[in-house]
Amino acid sequence: MNSGTAEVLRELQGIVETLLGEYEVGEDIEITMDTTLYEDLQLESIDLVVLAGHLEARYGSQVNIAEFVATLELDELIELTVGQLVHYVVGRLPETRGLEPSAPETAR
Amino acid sequence: MAHILANGIETHVIRMPAGGVPGAEAQPPTVVLIHGLGPDNLASFYVTLAAPVSSSGIEVIAYDLRGHGRSSRPHTGYRVSDFVADLEGLLDALDMPRPVHLVGNSFGGTVAFSYALAHPERVASLVLIESEPATEPWSRRMSTRFERFGQLEHPDEIDQVTAHLGRYGARAAKGASRALRATTMARDIPRGPLLSREQVQSVRSPIMVILGGESRFVDRAEVASLLPHCRIVVVPGHRHRLLVEAPRLVLDLLLPWIAEHDPARPETEVTRV
Repeated sequence: MNSGTAEVLRELQGIVETLLGEYEVGEDIEITMDTTLYEDLQLESIDLVVLAGHLEARYGSQVNIAEFVATLELDELIELTVGQLVHYVVGRLPETRGLEPSAPETAR
Repeated sequence: MAHILANGIETHVIRMPAGGVPGAEAQPPTVVLIHGLGPDNLASFYVTLAAPVSSSGIEVIAYDLRGHGRSSRPHTGYRVSDFVADLEGLLDALDMPRPVHLVGNSFGGTVAFSYALAHPERVASLVLIESEPATEPWSRRMSTRFERFGQLEHPDEIDQVTAHLGRYGARAAKGASRALRATTMARDIPRGPLLSREQVQSVRSPIMVILGGESRFVDRAEVASLLPHCRIVVVPGHRHRLLVEAPRLVLDLLLPWIAEHDPARPETEVTRV
């Protein structure tokens, strides 16, 4: 995992942990690149919008999560992973654009 | 996440600027997306139409209805007229200078229709997806649905929903069922106020109704008789969840519709998809 990917994953972990905190879920859930938002983390559909808002605030308007998820089929959306979002964000960041995309791997 | 106080409700709103063509018109059309009841919230538009509509040169506003998503959930106050007042408050708060296109999914379309009756000058057009006006027959159907939905804690019911929507959908439905019992929504919504045939037919906004060919949520013959001048499009092979199952089909109907019905947009700029 390159540094850009690791950094975005850490950011996303923080956002998801905040969201989960609101649901008073235990803090021992490990959030990796393979973790699915809805099945594993039990997030609600509206949480994706909130999470997207945080990512866009952090990384700027070149990150457009609505645009990204609109390209997914419904089945793909339901199985959306943390890693897919991380790779999308990394791909939109100017300083990391052009780097080899890192293979999906497990953080931590 | 942006919250705007509208009609006393902390309303969760997303606003996407009109993107696309550089040097496009200074006043692009605005579309307001209104979601349905229960497990629904603005996410169903966020993941489907919002981005492609916005990148087609149309400003997009989507919000969570009261009692849904991340908007506040008062215990009472869920008649259709409350949702209409919320929308009016929201458009005031957003300072919308021009009439907007209202796109409503399911109950969102019912709210949009009643809004157009109350505030015709602010509505450029109406698009109702799997949706119908708040009439007496609508009210009866809604009451029946609320009765069934309110029993979703029952294990058999949950199994049925899980079989139909999967674990994710079942969890959302269960949460919505709890939300229903925590508010007067199920009692208030069917009480409208209901619209007479004359009131429905007095709405002059252009109307398109998009229905799933396999859905029995809306009575197609009834809509055709009630709204003789509207455009009814039936999408074969889809049920009530048409918007999330076939967003591209809905988009392909919506973009030319807005181009055709936006007063400020010259005909030459009509984009076919």
